[in-house]
Amino acid sequence: MTERSLDLLIDEVVLGLASEADTARLEELAARDPEVAARLARARDRFAPLDETAEEHPLPDGFWERLAPRLDLPDETSPRPEPGTAGAEVIELAPLRARLNRWRSAAVTGIAASLLLAGLLGWSLLSPSDPLVVAVLLDDRGEAIALVESGPDNTTRVTLLERPDVPTGQVMQVWTKPEEDGPPVSLGLLSTGLSRVLSIEGLPEPHPAQLYEITFEPAGGSPTNLPTGPILGKGLAKAPVT
Amino acid sequence: MTAEGGRMLGVARRMLGRIDLAEDAVQEALVLVWRRAHQFDESRGSAKGWLYTILRNRCLTMLRSEDREMPTEPQAIDRASEGALVDAAFDRLPTTADLRGCLEGLDEATRRAILSSYVLGHSHGEIAGRLATPLGTVKARIRRGLLKLRECLS
Repeated sequence: MTERSLDLLIDEVVLGLASEADTARLEELAARDPEVAARLARARDRFAPLDETAEEHPLPDGFWERLAPRLDLPDETSPRPEPGTAGAEVIELAPLRARLNRWRSAAVTGIAASLLLAGLLGWSLLSPSDPLVVAVLLDDRGEAIALVESGPDNTTRVTLLERPDVPTGQVMQVWTKPEEDGPPVSLGLLSTGLSRVLSIEGLPEPHPAQLYEITFEPAGGSPTNLPTGPILGKGLAKAPVT
Repeated sequence: MTAEGGRMLGVARRMLGRIDLAEDAVQEALVLVWRRAHQFDESRGSAKGWLYTILRNRCLTMLRSEDREMPTEPQAIDRASEGALVDAAFDRLPTTADLRGCLEGLDEATRRAILSSYVLGHSHGEIAGRLATPLGTVKARIRRGLLKLRECLS
């Protein structure tokens, strides 16, 4: 496939013009090749502003409550066990499961579903337990723009204190410098433009006077894995007095 | 969160034309999100993008499926409202959005064809039918338009 025909296939899939077979073929390519996956993600991002142009419709009453029981139904796409293969010692789980599901549906209200969505969109209801360090990030005018709290395992809660004006096609990226004379390390992206909790493995425990900053980077994050864009705000951490 | 749900409902309604079908689509999309949450990989695009991709795919499947009573007789198509939806989508793009500037660089027929595929879920055939233009011509026009858009946006 030429570069140009791959680009066209990607665009047609994003627009919904491609056949189901072509869409499946591209999904498969993207699953195997991160380069294709990145191009597909970029194409989706290019057209995503059109999703924002739809009218908002208030969700009808009972929307989440109607959703909750559906989350508990078995996945229709998963393979069914062959009937008749059950041996004598096998306990028939289906009726038990059905009973359990009925009970769970009653217990799980729509709140669970809305929490899932909230979590996906980068809201967080978890908090790093007792932050080890706290930093207030200031912009170049000295205005506080974000509060950063980080736990011993570097789970970092970023609370934006102003709604930043993120340029089109850019994303906020959060950085820290675990070693004072070492390079900045990315803690993650605020891809929804909202406050969220970031988690990262393999960094040393954060310490007082550690630098935290947020920069604007190209969509998908800094291409060099180092801050390249303008700094939205930065600050040095302090240990809270407990 | 309810606001995001409301936006999802709006996107689905714009494609499916009926609020009851739109609610079904959003519910089905959320069930898929729930089941596939473990597959979500942030290095491959934002959660929001993933969410809307799943939603739009659900709507497209509903639009393309045979067993739904979608009125397709010409007299049943409300061209005025379809045109208004496409125009509104374009008008509501922020003036600072690159996509808007680049769409402005296309001729009107091509721009509307591309927008009606994304916004209304129209297929090549549906676009050709509405424009009373041969299918091959429409496909070629969209291909050229997409190439121009890519060059402009990159």
